[in-house]
Amino acid sequence: MAFAGPVLLKRIPDDPAKRKLINIDEYMATGGYESLRKAQAMTPEQIIQLVIDSNLRGRGGAGFPCGSKWKFLPKDLHPRYLAVNFDESEPGTFKDRYLTEYDPQVLLEGIAIAAFANRITTSYIYIRGEYHLQAKILEKALEEAYAKGIFGQKIPGTEIVHNCYVHRGAGAYICGEETGLLESLEGKRGWPRIKPPFPAIAGAFAKPTIINNVETLACLPYIIEYGADWFKSMGTASSAGPKLFGVSGLVHKPGVYEEELGIKMSTLIEKYAGGIKGGKYRAAIPGGVSMGVLGTDQYDAELDFDIGKKYNVLGLGTAGVIVMTDKTDLVVMLRNIVRFFAHESCGQCTPCREGTAWMHKMLNRIVAGYGKPRDFDLLMEVGLSMGSMPGTTICGLADGANWAVRTFLEKFPEDFKARLKSDHVQGVTLDAQAAAAV
Amino acid sequence: MAWIVEDRLKQYQPTRSEPYLTAEIKSHIEQKYFPRYPRKQAALLPLFHTIMHTYGYIAPQAIDEAAGFLGISRAEVQDAVTFYEEFRLQPSGKYVVNVCRSISCELCGHQAVLDKMREVFGIEPGETTDDDKFTLFEVECLGACEQAPCALVNEDLHGCLNPQAFASQLQALPDHPATGH
Ligand SMILES: Cc1cc2nc3c(=O)[nH]c(=O)nc-3n(C[C@H](O)[C@H](O)[C@H](O)COP(=O)(O)O)c2cc1C
Ligand code: SF4
Ligand code: FES
Repeated sequence: MAFAGPVLLKRIPDDPAKRKLINIDEYMATGGYESLRKAQAMTPEQIIQLVIDSNLRGRGGAGFPCGSKWKFLPKDLHPRYLAVNFDESEPGTFKDRYLTEYDPQVLLEGIAIAAFANRITTSYIYIRGEYHLQAKILEKALEEAYAKGIFGQKIPGTEIVHNCYVHRGAGAYICGEETGLLESLEGKRGWPRIKPPFPAIAGAFAKPTIINNVETLACLPYIIEYGADWFKSMGTASSAGPKLFGVSGLVHKPGVYEEELGIKMSTLIEKYAGGIKGGKYRAAIPGGVSMGVLGTDQYDAELDFDIGKKYNVLGLGTAGVIVMTDKTDLVVMLRNIVRFFAHESCGQCTPCREGTAWMHKMLNRIVAGYGKPRDFDLLMEVGLSMGSMPGTTICGLADGANWAVRTFLEKFPEDFKARLKSDHVQGVTLDAQAAAAV
Repeated sequence: MAWIVEDRLKQYQPTRSEPYLTAEIKSHIEQKYFPRYPRKQAALLPLFHTIMHTYGYIAPQAIDEAAGFLGISRAEVQDAVTFYEEFRLQPSGKYVVNVCRSISCELCGHQAVLDKMREVFGIEPGETTDDDKFTLFEVECLGACEQAPCALVNEDLHGCLNPQAFASQLQALPDHPATGH
């Protein structure tokens, strides 16, 4: 492990007062687009092999190896698309926004490299609707890049003209799920598709499509420039490279910080985020609310792709850490998370649509003081029943709800049990009161 | 998201003679967006963003017109449009104040911001002030959690909110906004 300093954030100063948008000339003056030139002197196969060798894993949440994903594209089937996932709607996640707000060209260079390596015809940057400013920044950055011939020209050695466009979403978390995104791109409601077929075979407009996260693509110029071994010199055996970590919640200096994968959460919080604010550490979400919660004894958890197995959470997710203290009401926090899923469930699958709504009602009832002892087991049962991993739903949104509920209940049972009253004392009246309260 | 398929178009308004999809809007979409996609339908989101920007909401008639323009059925347009939270079927105030209610903002005091809005403007989430200046909504994570609590006012993000200062800032806004919805 050796992290010498910021890679993705190297053009963005720590001091907020000094941060500004980097235009294409400034980008090029600091080595920008050298990697694209270098890549264009390689064969597509060499680039894909380099990305595989670098062990670059997707930064969008699932951690899927990037090069292997590219290899799923069927040979010689055109047109083919790249959909850039800039939906970034997972609570606690703002890294892609931060990077692109100041250094949009690094994303565009990554896109151009991915397009060259995969013979992409058109790239769509799917950006969430709420990112008005960032969409404008990207449009402007694209204009600059078109003017320099980065886009809109034949990919060297082929007859393929590669174009890149911004496509704005309109307020729906589920459009971050890759096939929900594709539906939305096609002008439909963002309902995730049943797989197979996988997007690499039949994605956008039924054509082969790669979907990659903003940060994943932003790593490419640096991998081309410094090589796979350099990339692997950071991080751990399973989790290579530098990583953007968002820290929010109860810390003194919330923000986006870059470190290598595998750093301890405690280090991230204390060295970078200014330490815990207004209390002692009690719990934290490691990577967006879908991942579940880390317990009080897991403060030193290493933030890498193995975190799921080691610390009983779903995974690293988006590496958006949300910090809570001994003064935080964890029951209210779980209610917040479950309400989010209930609100954002697209409604196609019954366990997800009904389950999240039901759990939200139960948590409302518990917070209002009308919880019953059996609610604990019931919450757990409903939570565990939903998700693509138990195999009851189409997409991973329900797994997020499942892991949030199960980890809160497993790691902080006393918080919930203290709120649950006996069913026997008040019996039927309790139900009536509860119904009135929620 | 919107999985409840309720008939939000029930108060169908009398059709107005001039179209919502003006020649200007149509040619904007035809020139800028149709060439980007292999199917016209894919221009649905850009089209409705433009309609929202122009009118502040989506009238039922605009859905009819869009269907013809995009070459798909009215049901398909309605199906898509009603799914997205940013596409509103009712007119709103000049400033739409979207207060984030997700976890980092709840941890950092979103409730105080919301209470202040209630107190100062006398409206609940979903309501509009009598002078049509403000509409209040609670929304999910705005992707600016490091600036919690935060709110999106039309297109502008306001972060690290102090409830009182935010309320005063809103009150000081001109009657006619510079940015669209
Ligand atoms: C409910 C749900 C929401 C998601 N939201 C996002 C998102 O906002 N941004 C993102 O990059 N990936 C998101 N993902 C993951 C994508 O489906 C996909 O795995 C990812 O974009 C692939 O890119 P990567 O391999 O570069 O990480 C989401 C997944 C699910 C199940
Ligand atoms: S799991 Fe939930 S969000 Fe995903 S497709 Fe099913 S209903 Fe929709
Ligand atoms: S939780 Fe409010 S912006 Fe993310």
